Amino acid sequence: MKNDQAKKYGMVIDLDKCTGCGACMVACMAENNIPFKEDESNKLDSITWMRVYQLTNGKPYPETDICYIPRPCMHCEGDHGHSPCVSVCPATATDYSQKTGIVSQIYTRCFGCRYCMAACPYHARYFNWWDPVWPNGMEKFLNPSVSPRMRGVVEKCSFCFHRHQLAMNKAFVEGRRELEENEYQTSCAQACPSGAIAFGDLNNPKHTVNQLAQPDNAHGGQPKNPEVFRLLEKLGTNPKVYYVSSREWVRRAGDNYLKNENPGKAH
Amino acid sequence: MKMDRRSFLSFVIGGAAGTALSPLPWKVTDDLAIWSQNWSWTPVPEDGEVGYVNTTCSLCPGGCGITVRKVGDRAVKIEGMKGHPVNDGGICILGLAGLQFLYGPSRIASPMRRTGERGENKWQKISWEEAISEVSKKLADLRSKNQSHALACISGYDGGTVPRLFERFLTVYGSANFVRTPAVRDSYELGLYLMQGTQANAGFDVENADYILSFGCGIIEGWGSPVRMFKANSHWKETGVKVTQVEPRLSNTAAKSDQWIPIKPGTEVVLALGLARVIVDESLYRREFIASHTAGFDRFVQNVLKDYPPEQVEKVTGIDKAVVVSLAKTFAAAKKPLAICGRGRGAGSESAGEIMAVYALNALVGNINQKGGVWAIPDPNYIRWPELEMDAQAAAGMQKPRVDGAGSKKYPHIRNLLHRLPEMINSTDASPVQALFVLEANPYYSVSDSAFVRKAWKKIPFIVSFSSFMDETAANADLILPNHVYLERHEDIPGAEGFIKPIIGLAKPVVNPQFDTLHAGDTIIRLAKMMGDPIAKAFPWEDYEACLEETFGDKWEALGEKGYWIDAGFEPSPWNKAFETASKKFEFASDDIGASFQNAVVKAEGEESAYPLLLIPYDSPRISAGRIGNPPFVIKTVADTVIKGKNGFIEVNPKTAIALGLSEGKSAVISTPRGSAKVRIHLFEGIMPGVVAMPTGLGHTAYDSFLAGKGVNINELIGPVEDGSSGLNAAWGIRAKLGKA
Amino acid sequence: MDSALIPKGVNRCPLSELILKLGPVVAVLLWGVVAMFMCWIKGLNQTNMNDSYGFALWIWADLTVIALGGGAFFTGLLRYIIGKDKLKNIINFAVLIGFICYSSALLILAIDIGQPLRGWFIFWHANVHSMLTEVAFCLTCYFMVLTIEYLPLILENRQIDRLPFFHNLSHNMHEIMAVFAATGAFLSFFHQGSLGGVAGVLFGRPFAFREGIFIWPWTFFLFTWSAAACGPCFTIMLLKITERITRKKLVKDDVVDLLAKIAGWMLTTYIIAKIIDTWYWAMVTAPSLGFELTDFYSNNPFYGMWILILEIVVCGIIPSIILISKKGRSNPVSFMTAVVLAVLGACVNRWAMVLQVMAAPVLTFEGWPMYYPSWQEVATTLLPVAYGIILVALSYRYLPVFPQEVELNPVESEDQGGKAKKAALSGAEVSPARA
Ligand SMILES: Nc1nc2c(c(=O)[nH]1)N[C@@H]1C(S)=C(S)[C@H](COP(=O)(O)OP(=O)(O)OC[C@H]3O[C@@H](n4cnc5c(=O)[nH]c(N)nc54)[C@H](O)[C@@H]3O)O[C@@H]1N2
Ligand SMILES: Nc1nc2c(c(=O)[nH]1)N[C@H]1C(S)=C(S)[C@@H](COP(=O)(O)OP(=O)(O)OC[C@H]3O[C@@H](n4cnc5c(=O)[nH]c(N)nc54)[C@H](O)[C@@H]3O)O[C@H]1N2
Ligand code: SF4
Ligand code: SF4
Ligand code: SF4
Ligand code: SF4
Ligand code: SF4
Ligand SMILES: [Mo]
Repeated sequence: MKNDQAKKYGMVIDLDKCTGCGACMVACMAENNIPFKEDESNKLDSITWMRVYQLTNGKPYPETDICYIPRPCMHCEGDHGHSPCVSVCPATATDYSQKTGIVSQIYTRCFGCRYCMAACPYHARYFNWWDPVWPNGMEKFLNPSVSPRMRGVVEKCSFCFHRHQLAMNKAFVEGRRELEENEYQTSCAQACPSGAIAFGDLNNPKHTVNQLAQPDNAHGGQPKNPEVFRLLEKLGTNPKVYYVSSREWVRRAGDNYLKNENPGKAH
Repeated sequence: MKMDRRSFLSFVIGGAAGTALSPLPWKVTDDLAIWSQNWSWTPVPEDGEVGYVNTTCSLCPGGCGITVRKVGDRAVKIEGMKGHPVNDGGICILGLAGLQFLYGPSRIASPMRRTGERGENKWQKISWEEAISEVSKKLADLRSKNQSHALACISGYDGGTVPRLFERFLTVYGSANFVRTPAVRDSYELGLYLMQGTQANAGFDVENADYILSFGCGIIEGWGSPVRMFKANSHWKETGVKVTQVEPRLSNTAAKSDQWIPIKPGTEVVLALGLARVIVDESLYRREFIASHTAGFDRFVQNVLKDYPPEQVEKVTGIDKAVVVSLAKTFAAAKKPLAICGRGRGAGSESAGEIMAVYALNALVGNINQKGGVWAIPDPNYIRWPELEMDAQAAAGMQKPRVDGAGSKKYPHIRNLLHRLPEMINSTDASPVQALFVLEANPYYSVSDSAFVRKAWKKIPFIVSFSSFMDETAANADLILPNHVYLERHEDIPGAEGFIKPIIGLAKPVVNPQFDTLHAGDTIIRLAKMMGDPIAKAFPWEDYEACLEETFGDKWEALGEKGYWIDAGFEPSPWNKAFETASKKFEFASDDIGASFQNAVVKAEGEESAYPLLLIPYDSPRISAGRIGNPPFVIKTVADTVIKGKNGFIEVNPKTAIALGLSEGKSAVISTPRGSAKVRIHLFEGIMPGVVAMPTGLGHTAYDSFLAGKGVNINELIGPVEDGSSGLNAAWGIRAKLGKA
Repeated sequence: MDSALIPKGVNRCPLSELILKLGPVVAVLLWGVVAMFMCWIKGLNQTNMNDSYGFALWIWADLTVIALGGGAFFTGLLRYIIGKDKLKNIINFAVLIGFICYSSALLILAIDIGQPLRGWFIFWHANVHSMLTEVAFCLTCYFMVLTIEYLPLILENRQIDRLPFFHNLSHNMHEIMAVFAATGAFLSFFHQGSLGGVAGVLFGRPFAFREGIFIWPWTFFLFTWSAAACGPCFTIMLLKITERITRKKLVKDDVVDLLAKIAGWMLTTYIIAKIIDTWYWAMVTAPSLGFELTDFYSNNPFYGMWILILEIVVCGIIPSIILISKKGRSNPVSFMTAVVLAVLGACVNRWAMVLQVMAAPVLTFEGWPMYYPSWQEVATTLLPVAYGIILVALSYRYLPVFPQEVELNPVESEDQGGKAKKAALSGAEVSPARA
């Protein structure tokens, strides 16, 4: 098949635009049949494939500043698909797709050892500590394209992979092998009222994400745009989620630095 | 056969080996694994044909177009409608969770009559026939005693056919007491009326302004039409439009702005007038507008601005005078600067003085009815129903002054003053309200000074809720006549808060009603018919749908197709036609207005000696706070520094906390002149020392177990503070003290 | 009552006394069983684990019992492969402890996984890149080996041994035990290592991550090494406890001394390697990822710098020095201190490599999440301890676990017994070590 060049789907999230409104979190919940409990205030057992964190610059009033940072799964590529979580899964229940760059999760294969959670430095993986329960009647809004998960397995952001499948199916029926940028968009990117999330193929120069992040594939996908950064770049996880910020303290908060280290040199 | 030890052991070992080698254990193991993948108690969503329905979201005044994805007859996802003039594909957190209202556990499944005490949550299901006839009898009884004016209706909205039908019902029944819940719109409408002489809504051309000066508006907390404002905010980032946020607390908006100017709460008006003074002093105003299209400029300068030199502004607001001066210059230097006000989401009104000071700023830079400025948006005025025929009782009832005093000599320019209702009820022996309708509002929860509200509530003998959900008001009503939720009904949704074009959205039934509910429009029509003439005669339509179709006439089809009607070519009136004041000019000062400016600063209730701190409410985009309770998905997104378990947090500056011996997470008691509550401490550097803040929208007692009992309802702690000149409730906070629990 | 089952020539308390004494232990066991079923039926929400602590008490217990169960493979290695023949007097006990540790580990794993019914997917859908796959395979195989090693001991029970088939089976198994011991040592080397690898390969977790060779991070080797060092200490510690409880000397001192001396040298070399590893990690690996050593230690009481000092100095250097010196070994107090510290050292190391890995924040905007186990976790962790006590008690009662017991505790007369004991203690007449 021609045109079979590998895609590398990824995101660029503009933290200057992100307002921390949380719409992306709910867009994800609604799209992906994410369960909810009466008390979700313990964030250590609350399933949010997309989680919006609040950062502060740590300065006292009135120099204080805050910034929000949405965190889906980074779909780390690591070194040639050796993402932190994929290589550790003993049952091959999570996999790195060389075709799309998406880190998948097979709920019916996962047996809940949680090794992948230990491996993921972004806390992007969530365990189903409870049986998912929808109050009587609420199961009516469940999306048939995404199977609800059972207790005892790990789940995480899939880059709304079912949307990729649906778009590909449609394209195939129409005799196409390639998707347009707007044909495959994640639920969170689509919903974000601020337009802070761009999603697309990082390898495709026509796609917004490529233009914004300017990933350098020769150097583990590092962004060439100096206002763009990735979370924990130094670990070598090679994430496919990039962030833009005009604020230096925000960019610095993306990674760990030694006291006298100048983050500017990282790029 | 004799079983000796040896043959027994052989049997056991042989049997074990045999079983292990047979397919049986492998089969069972496999089946068990497969079973674990298909647990019957984990639902499998039914598949079906996928379809999309365009409709309008009415969960807030935003007026967004939405597209609902359906699978078979189920609605499975709400998304923003692409190409919609207000939100163009965008959607907010609340709108996304809309299906949790539709299918949610707090829905009321049928008409119900209270059987226990109020609030005890004991109900008896009744038929619609029975329910409506019960209301009819009560109202007929009241009317026969010449007490028709003792019927009141609290409505969450007054634009559109449904509230108009209710208002019409009250009118022909003989009551002027249709009271709409407050919002900053009240203040803007008043400002437009006083300064421009127009009866209109304020629109803000935020997309074209090139500098935004916001006096505490929660631009990204839900102010105006939330999605539109989010988009505007991003647009500003892209085009380099600078935003200055004046606010005592580092809100999301403040954090996103280019400049955050912390200010002593309640003194925003002083800053606005101080800025005006600098602009005048330094002659930075737009002469062509001031000279030809304004009246009273000199009086404004002499009588008002003399009191606001920068030094004085610094003293009152706590903002360095150099900052005041440079802010004024920046504002005046911009081509299309826009000043806006309305704290937080704009869910409450502001003082007339404050709104007019902000208007005056816009006028000084000539940004009235201009690109990037404040526009007066006239009502689309599409509801033209036959004249009412009122009988003597109705006419007499309508002559009676409104219970809330709106429109009276004391409050001449105001149409609704809901905050006065509890006081009026509590100040007399027999409640002036004998029967109450509540439509799309939750006053039992959302009117401030909850204890006082509860006292007044007890005195109202008959309360009917039209709520779709078991909110606090419904839970404390006598009769519930549940409305369809917005995804089950047809309705016109006029306007989008702050939008610059007249627009009418149409809500369409996306799914069939899930329960035995009835469209509130139908309920009121059926009630009218049951009550007989002359009331019945005022409702000539067979049902609500017929009324709606007739109202829109030839627009109906187009409206249905597109989902909305917009006057796309609308342009604001040019200056020489815009002003309907006596002078036909923009009024900087008249006798009315002078009084308003004199009463500009609204003080917080309480004595500083007893209550050394200031408590202010804050809005969060992740907590809905009006008539709508947060659905499970949305409450899930609330940070654990806002609610943890059932506990709500109060934001305190570490300096304040240290002085009080309080630290992160500790329990404390917040007390105000109106009440006290248990809270936990959250240390936040982004709040002014001496000020503490609590979120709005928590502390529900009704709805469902996902929401009820979490945090504190700030209305328990805050009471109304009347703006001396307009009568609007202009409370922005209250004095408070915080102590260890 | 059960005298027919008790080995010849030894003294055992009356059955009633045993039952009475084991009563509380059985109660703990049952408590654990209840908790275990609660976890299986209701799911892991019965624990206090969470998304930050995906690995917690159980995985720590797993890693620890496997490390401490390392006494079995290492003693086996010394006895059968290296030829330290003297150790035949303690090998049964070491195997027994190993068997208990490994069966416990497997049981805990079966409770720990979210979908126990799918546990076998680890074999069926095995991912060869996963350290956990390696662990699962080696652990299971080694458990079989331990079973095979333990089985002859069971077959030596007086009554079973009377059946010719079992007698011969047992005899033949003894003959080939070296093969199993070798297999076991090989398997152990790998799974102890891969358990170390479990943490060491986590390149997203700078606290755990270690460089290494090929696919093996240094923790791979350190875990094997520390198991070989601390496992025998655990065997010795339990032996001493057993002797205290039974009020009998069960293994001669020279046997214990030999094992302790070897363990001491293992511990010494291990702790040197560990210090180098820690130094390299603190000075090179972590800084390259943006971390200073102090970033990994918190000012909260659980994860302070004290852990590192406790592990390396108190439970590493000190017992090493004691165990490699003859003087240290010969003083019963210092000897026991050293043995206990070595065991504690393994526990602390595994604790840090599981719990602290989970707790140390990696994202700059996260804090240290705290965790304390639920009673269900505690109960299921005590379950194997109770089961171990019972299995040791029963094995001791009915099986010839300690070959030297008869000699050291002659039952004929009080007087003779006393003499024999003295002689044994001096160690003078004991068979000389194999050349
Ligand atoms: N289901 C549902 N629908 C809603 C809402 C909701 O919560 N639920 N709310 C939405 C919200 S918040 C808004 S802002 C919009 C409001 O939609 P709009 O149409 O913008 O409503 P208002 O401006 O409040 O309507 C009052 C206007 O009508 C005029 N008016 C006042 N009284 C009368 C009268 O008796 N007769 C006539 N002909 N005109 C009168 C006044 O000039 C005033 O400008 O509606 C929306 N619709
Ligand atoms: N002068 C005048 N005054 C009016 C009216 C009028 O027509 N004229 N109309 C009245 C009307 S229509 C209304 S509805 C009331 C308003 O009063 P309410 O109906 O009480 O509601 P609001 O608080 O304005 O908005 C409704 C809900 O939408 C939620 N919301 C909006 N944006 C967001 C968001 O981004 N995230 C989340 N989570 N929630 C969000 C808010 O939390 C809020 O709870 O004002 C009334 N006041
Ligand atoms: S929806 Fe957009 S603006 Fe809102 S939190 Fe998510 S990324 Fe930020
Ligand atoms: S973010 Fe975590 S879960 Fe996602 S690919 Fe990276 S390591 Fe795996
Ligand atoms: S929890 Fe599931 S996906 Fe994660 S490593 Fe274990 S088996 Fe794989
Ligand atoms: S990409 Fe899809 S699955 Fe991932 S966070 Fe966004 S909505 Fe959720
Ligand atoms: S902003 Fe208001 S109208 Fe728009 S989607 Fe949200 S709740 Fe609905
Ligand atoms: Mo509104």
